[in-house]
Amino acid sequence: MEPAWIALGLSLKVALWATAIDLVAGVAVGFALARYRFPGREMVDSILLLPMVLPPTVLGYYLLVVVGRRGWLGGWLERTFGIQLIFTWQGAVLAAAIVAFPFVCKSARAAFENVDVQFEQAARVLGLGAAAVFFRVTLPLAWRGILAGTLLAFARALGEFGATLMIAGSIPGKTQTLSIAVYDAVQAGQDELANGLVLLTSATCIAVLLLAGRLAPSRVPGRW
Amino acid sequence: MHVGVLSSRRMASVALAFVLAFASPVVFAAELTISAAASLGDAFRDIGRAFESAHPDTKVQLNFAASGALLQQIAKGAPVDVFASADEETMDRAEQQKLIRHGSRVDFAANALVVVVPRDAASSPKTLADLAATSIRRIAIGLPASVPAGRYARFALDKAKLWPAIEAKVIGAQSVRQGLDYVARGEVDAGFVYATDAALEVDKVRVAFVVPTDPPVRYPIAIVEGSGNLAAARGFVAFVASLAGQDTMARYGFGKP
Amino acid sequence: MKWDVRVARSMGHGANPFRLDVTFASDCERLVLYGPSGAGKSLTLKAMAGLLRPEEGRVVVDGSTLFDAAAGVDVAAGARRLGYVFQEYALFPHLTVRQNVAFGLDKGLRNPRRDAAAPAVDRWLATLELASLGHRYPDELSGGQRQRTALARALVADPRALLLDEPFAALDSGLRERLRAELGELQLRLALPIVLITHDAADVAAFAGEVITLDGGRVSGNGAAVSAPA
Repeated sequence: MEPAWIALGLSLKVALWATAIDLVAGVAVGFALARYRFPGREMVDSILLLPMVLPPTVLGYYLLVVVGRRGWLGGWLERTFGIQLIFTWQGAVLAAAIVAFPFVCKSARAAFENVDVQFEQAARVLGLGAAAVFFRVTLPLAWRGILAGTLLAFARALGEFGATLMIAGSIPGKTQTLSIAVYDAVQAGQDELANGLVLLTSATCIAVLLLAGRLAPSRVPGRW
Repeated sequence: MHVGVLSSRRMASVALAFVLAFASPVVFAAELTISAAASLGDAFRDIGRAFESAHPDTKVQLNFAASGALLQQIAKGAPVDVFASADEETMDRAEQQKLIRHGSRVDFAANALVVVVPRDAASSPKTLADLAATSIRRIAIGLPASVPAGRYARFALDKAKLWPAIEAKVIGAQSVRQGLDYVARGEVDAGFVYATDAALEVDKVRVAFVVPTDPPVRYPIAIVEGSGNLAAARGFVAFVASLAGQDTMARYGFGKP
Repeated sequence: MKWDVRVARSMGHGANPFRLDVTFASDCERLVLYGPSGAGKSLTLKAMAGLLRPEEGRVVVDGSTLFDAAAGVDVAAGARRLGYVFQEYALFPHLTVRQNVAFGLDKGLRNPRRDAAAPAVDRWLATLELASLGHRYPDELSGGQRQRTALARALVADPRALLLDEPFAALDSGLRERLRAELGELQLRLALPIVLITHDAADVAAFAGEVITLDGGRVSGNGAAVSAPA
């Protein structure tokens, strides 16, 4: 079952990186959407939510075209830094991060919109700068909602398959995530391996759910 | 008596309409489902159309994927009538699993395995050994476990004792067509595909050299056990082996079996 | 002049445009902005505090120019040294009473620790009779206790003036009288200039030194401060 553990390790690595990227980007963008009014704001919001509704293979195709060696982004990356993203675990991270981003962004925006601006105003009048207000008041009051979205994002990233399949290249240890390993095993008639992988994936997901339940702390008396 | 929008009559009609739409009505024409290896795509589409013209009461449904994937579908009970694979090994497995009708198997085409490079590549490898050069950084090969072209490639490389040297550069493709696409896009420096596939993307790839394969690349076709339309299935297999069928195969670059 | 204020700004969307244009000047240490809901009292106070940016005008408090549109001066809300008490107090729900009061003392990126020692905080908690409630959370406090906590939080940084937005609105009448008196005493003791918003005439009668009456975004009358009814 060696290939199974390698695939699991890779899936976790890819999902964790993708979620970390989405957390930072999603919170920043969610905050901007919640607090600033600008023309075309709802249009931007809709575009950012697209990966949630686009078929994963469509996303995979876009990635291939844009990030591939001949694409405008991929070509530039290769010319400037010699980096190629297709067929690498970083490419898998990119695919997973894109499909999971809307989960964090949407929940972050909603969480921030639920924080009364008065708290932020009170903090400002008391002398705090924008960064301090964000970290001491806004974020502590919004983190639960953000966390919920982040866990969903992690689950989505862990299960990402369609887009990754198109740009991955099925390389064990580098791009053959659990989902792709299951697919390949089934295609090859390796039922025993497929069964093992499926059990492993299910166990991992259950563990993530349990951990998520633990992370949401019990109500402390006096807390809101 | 007031008949509202939600009258029981209306609802019954709506419900009936749903059921009829969902449970598609029985097709008047007989349906024939053909699962064929990815590389047979264009040739079999033509053959399918020609067969339908000759047999107006039959509708041909084509299903293309890597031969290994198709075998799994049939093994798990997919309602397929005819199976055409890109190598004998997959058909052997089908026979072992008692999935095809005894005696219906026949070879109908041959192909060549080639190495292709992107059309604008600076240099071309001339032999298998050249693939070990540092200028070739990535090579697309179909996953050997499910893609015959990949198996042929792996076999050839093993025979030439070159597999260890290039293993690190291999990008596994889900089918020979995906491998071809990778080369066409320039994502890989070389790829193992069939000569017939290379001919499809002449403007994006060029053939570097032909890979001697042993056994030679031969395509078998057979009737699937449990087919619901035996007569039409037999007719289709016969059509593929006929002059008309062989003509079409030749047009796409396939050799005689 | 303790207060020299002119704030003007157009706001509202489409169907309901609203023009705020308030001018007043006063030397009184107990100023009340009085008027019905929607008159623009809160907006004026927010503009003075730096939470709202006027399009024209100037705000000078106790000789310091905090805002001057013509001269391009706009001191940040946090630098104006004004204490502000919000209508619903806006106590940080995730922090204890002590942490709330100590909040503005450290402008860094971390909140004060629950057990942090701070003499200024202790003093104010004692003054406002909150000493025993230091470790409670805002949702465990009564209305009067919350108001006093909000006051302590505003006062601990030694502001040059105190702005209060309807500070008694959320309290029942018995409590209002008591707290009005307490606020009055506090103001005298600290000699701290105060601006208070209310729509309740009783508040005006009990508290005001001078009254500025607002209606529809403007000072009704001729803009000069009107002395309080006796």
